[in-house]
Amino acid sequence: MDFATLERIGAVIGGIVVGVVAFYALYKDWKTPGVENHVFKVMLLLLGIGAIVALLAGLNVLGNFGKPA
Amino acid sequence: MAVATISHGAAHGADGEVDQLYVETRELRLQGFLLFLVSDCVLFSSFIFAYLYLRSSGQGWPPPGIQRLDVAFAAWNSVVLFGSGATMHYALENWKHGNFMKYMWMLIFTIILGAMFLGGQGYEYNHLIYAEHVSWWGSGIFGASFFTLTGMHGFHVFMGVCYLTVLLLQSAAGTYTRDKYFGITAGTLYWHFVDVIWVVLFSIFYLL
Repeated sequence: MDFATLERIGAVIGGIVVGVVAFYALYKDWKTPGVENHVFKVMLLLLGIGAIVALLAGLNVLGNFGKPA
Repeated sequence: MAVATISHGAAHGADGEVDQLYVETRELRLQGFLLFLVSDCVLFSSFIFAYLYLRSSGQGWPPPGIQRLDVAFAAWNSVVLFGSGATMHYALENWKHGNFMKYMWMLIFTIILGAMFLGGQGYEYNHLIYAEHVSWWGSGIFGASFFTLTGMHGFHVFMGVCYLTVLLLQSAAGTYTRDKYFGITAGTLYWHFVDVIWVVLFSIFYLL
């Protein structure tokens, strides 16, 4: 197994874990009031989206892996 | 088993009186910090839109002679940074719930993951400069944009790691209490901001 495959597997597993954690934290904090908590909710949503993007990149759905243009 | 908890020293001074200054200025500090993040957002946005404009006005991307960036490694490195965002969030949650040891461990994990991301970026820079011969000064718009934006972000991550290390030391020294912890909130906001900026940078440099 080459390094690129290991990196992709790491990105997929990590993406799933971080995505689940981010969306679960967002779900738990959904009703918390206050400016800072609203900012945290936006940040958690974007973090979850980032995790999904990294997951899709790891699955080779987004981007391409070092191929020339 | 003994569980370390955080005292309710609260917004109270040493003499037991309410720390009125903290209570009155907390919202102002929060607004000031959010304004700082907005100004940082404007800074990144200006560079990002300049990059996108230059990219869309050129003839094909990446320019001739430059390979597409390695998405596999960047995806892995991104997950490391996003993971640090999750651990930082739970560090703050544990602080709010009075679990001092869990807070400390989560903060330590965040610092380690932040340092790992920086190491990964250093590895990628090394590969680009010495193996691919892409440089900030000699690879046209692509090199200048890539190294400026990722370098600026890397600098923010480095400053964040320093900030979180200071937070760790201050927390161990008892600077914060369960009700008086704006520094930790600000650290968490900053770290989330750094994560979110990377979502954009990762998307525009590696995926588009």
